[in-house]
Amino acid sequence: MKYAKVYAEDAQVGSELPPLVKPPIQQIQLTRYAGASGDFNPIHQDAAFAKAAGMGDVFAHGMLSMGFVAQSVTDWLGVGSVRKLGVRFAGLVRLGDVVTCRGKIVAKRPPKDGNGPWLVDLELWAENQKGEKVITGKSTAALPSRA
Amino acid sequence: MPIQINTAIKGKEYPAYPVTVERGKIKEFARAIGDLSPFYLDDEIAKAGPWGDIIAPPTFPITFRDDRADTGTMLRDLGVDIGRLLHGEQEFEHFKPIRPGQTYLCRSRIADIYEKAGKSGPMAFVVRETTVTDSGNDVVALVRGTTVVRL
Repeated sequence: MKYAKVYAEDAQVGSELPPLVKPPIQQIQLTRYAGASGDFNPIHQDAAFAKAAGMGDVFAHGMLSMGFVAQSVTDWLGVGSVRKLGVRFAGLVRLGDVVTCRGKIVAKRPPKDGNGPWLVDLELWAENQKGEKVITGKSTAALPSRA
Repeated sequence: MPIQINTAIKGKEYPAYPVTVERGKIKEFARAIGDLSPFYLDDEIAKAGPWGDIIAPPTFPITFRDDRADTGTMLRDLGVDIGRLLHGEQEFEHFKPIRPGQTYLCRSRIADIYEKAGKSGPMAFVVRETTVTDSGNDVVALVRGTTVVRL
């Protein structure tokens, strides 16, 4: 069902996003994300640098966690459905942390013109294994009508 | 003593730069996130899909960067060391799918700079907006990022 097409009729206000639980953050993933994104800030790679900068230890790129949040929406509503995604980085994600992305539909809007897609607004958040929010955000996704 | 930053760059527009999206870069980015959707990774499955090819994940435009308009340039303009940065907020608006092989034009500007007291001391917030257009001059994506500087 993971890549099944989701129609506007399937998405209701209050519907909860199936939680996306990501594997524990490992240094190698931060290194891979640095290469893939082009963000080589040493604060995500070099513990001595992070400590000297007053951050204690390395932490994950916020954009990696935002990528998880985007995945939680596209896994549910479909690749290509995201029209808008905005987040606030509320807490640092550290090595070993398990990030879980959650959310729900808070509004559903009919097409402005006859054939356009429906739009659904989502409230989104990601939390660590202690239940602390590391991201809060909102998204708008476009869904076709079955009719 | 908090450091001073150069707030005079508020409103500054950086030189527009082109980015050609590489197929392999889309796949590398999706794999780094651990998002294994075939619409990002599998040319054959994606070919039969709604776009006729793979497309990029929603946060992919964060990879659009240029030596004259990247975070390093902004840091030099602000007079700030990279170790003081935190990512505060990020937003993407998408109007068209981002496709491999396409060349896009990126225009970045410093939309706002403001200072505020944070939990752990004074902070500056630098808002950078990038408009991504395609060869037909249609806006494909808008990217808005807020960088927090620990002063």
